[in-house]
Amino acid sequence: MRTVKAPNDMSEILNTLTESIKAGKRKDAKAATEQALSENIDPQQILAALTMGMDDVGRRFKANEIFVPEVLVAARSMKSSMELLEPVLAESGYTPDHTVIIGTVEGDLHDIGKNLVAMMLKGANFSVVDLGTNVGAQAFVEAAQTHKASLIGLSALLTTTMTAMREAVALFREQGLAAKVMIGGAPITEQFAQDIGADGYATDAASSVDLARSLVA
Amino acid sequence: MNGPGQTQPDYGLLACDVFADELVALGGESPPWRALTFLEMGLHDHPDQLRQQVQSSIAELEATPGISRIVLAYGLCGNGLLGVRAGRVPLVIPRAHDCIAMLLGSAARRQALMRDVPGGYFYSPGWIRGGRVPGPERDAYLRDLFQERYPDDPELVEDLLEADRDTFSHYHTALYVDVTQDDGARNKCQQCARSLSWSFRMLEGDPAWLRDLIWGQWDAERFLTVPPGASIALDGEALIAR
Ligand code: B12
Repeated sequence: MRTVKAPNDMSEILNTLTESIKAGKRKDAKAATEQALSENIDPQQILAALTMGMDDVGRRFKANEIFVPEVLVAARSMKSSMELLEPVLAESGYTPDHTVIIGTVEGDLHDIGKNLVAMMLKGANFSVVDLGTNVGAQAFVEAAQTHKASLIGLSALLTTTMTAMREAVALFREQGLAAKVMIGGAPITEQFAQDIGADGYATDAASSVDLARSLVA
Repeated sequence: MNGPGQTQPDYGLLACDVFADELVALGGESPPWRALTFLEMGLHDHPDQLRQQVQSSIAELEATPGISRIVLAYGLCGNGLLGVRAGRVPLVIPRAHDCIAMLLGSAARRQALMRDVPGGYFYSPGWIRGGRVPGPERDAYLRDLFQERYPDDPELVEDLLEADRDTFSHYHTALYVDVTQDDGARNKCQQCARSLSWSFRMLEGDPAWLRDLIWGQWDAERFLTVPPGASIALDGEALIAR
């Protein structure tokens, strides 16, 4: 049976969902997602509500209004909602067309930003293979080949590990990988991305999704 | 050039207070600087604020009579020093990425350690004094902060603290860089390691880079001089003036 929700109720549920992501309230986010699903709200709209919450969290972190743990609890809330949403998305014929290999480069253990990007890419219908932190260039090459990836995402948060990024991109080129390469992390600049021959760079999770889409288009 | 025994200090030192212990020890009884400004180390988490504060402190130091140079006890610090401009007088800055390399004496040594001990987190007296290194003081600080921010939501506060501990899950070793033979700081670092079930490793610091910075042994390989009007820039991974 299918009931059609009045738009007001619907936007109220989605609003609650966005707000619980922003506040990092995992249980509330889960409950709102369950409710949205049981009310047959379009999964794409649910996803948009989640993303909107996470974008706001990213903005407030950049503006120094909140701390890293606050970003993390928001990300966890989004993750638990995504777990409910993913099977529904898959059922509605929403299967990924592209695989992204993502990881933090060798010598670097920072992974908060990388995890956010990975999650948002998943939400945007990419199949994501996350290699974790301290990942050597060769491991990216192997994973890209095994998974026939269209895209590789490299993260670095230390100016001292940006060198590892340069070396990784050089190796991908040398091995003739077909995958496009995007890079990111707080110290990364457009200039650096050009210098090392990456295909693109993004400054936050939301623009990473736009970038990834444009690179595989 | 300045040197030990030189009598007329002519530079202003602008330093991150992470180096307070080392600089005071290396400066000795008659330190080589004419004026000294420390800036708060927590600024390193916010590179844009760091840049602004460094720039305005340079302007203040320059106004001190008798100053013909400003020495920065800073590295690139997450690009926080990028774009900092020399005003009336030249700037001198170590060609370092951060304080860890300076305390270890060279970038090469730091790179080798990061490669050999990938799960290592660096501690020094300054980092420990800052109270934000992984360990009991950080937990207590964050608990107060989040309790104040979310007074009605103890569950969220616990979640936040757990999330913070989680950020260190890839680490397993406290690397203590010792320059000042400070037993108190070393003990505290050992306490941090114990509370996290990490191992503790003592690294002998190398004061040469910092010592040469304050005593004016500025060879071009380790130090960048930024002439008036130019600013700190990057060429690949190397600090340059532009
Ligand atoms: C949190 C943090 C930590 C945490 C990391 C926890 C974790 N699991 O990741 C802890 C406390 C463990 C830590 C450790 C260290 N850190 Co730290 N850390 C930070 C801090 C404060 C925030 C980073 C962060 O998570 N930001 C939040 C996320 C959401 O933002 P983000 O990472 O920038 O990601 C966004 C974008 O950049 C982009 N993005 C990121 N990756 C990618 C990838 C792709 C493909 C794309 C397209 C986009 C993209 O999208 C993301 C989402 O919006 C920064 C300072 C800063 N403000 O950047 C210092 C900072 C990076 N750390 C620094 C240092 C020095 C260290 C240590 C060496 C300290 C030590 N005493 O040992 C160790 C590192 C050891 C190692 N081998 O890695 C320095 C780096 C200096 C340098 N040399 O460059 C910084 C700049 C602080 C400083 N100035 O001292 N750190």
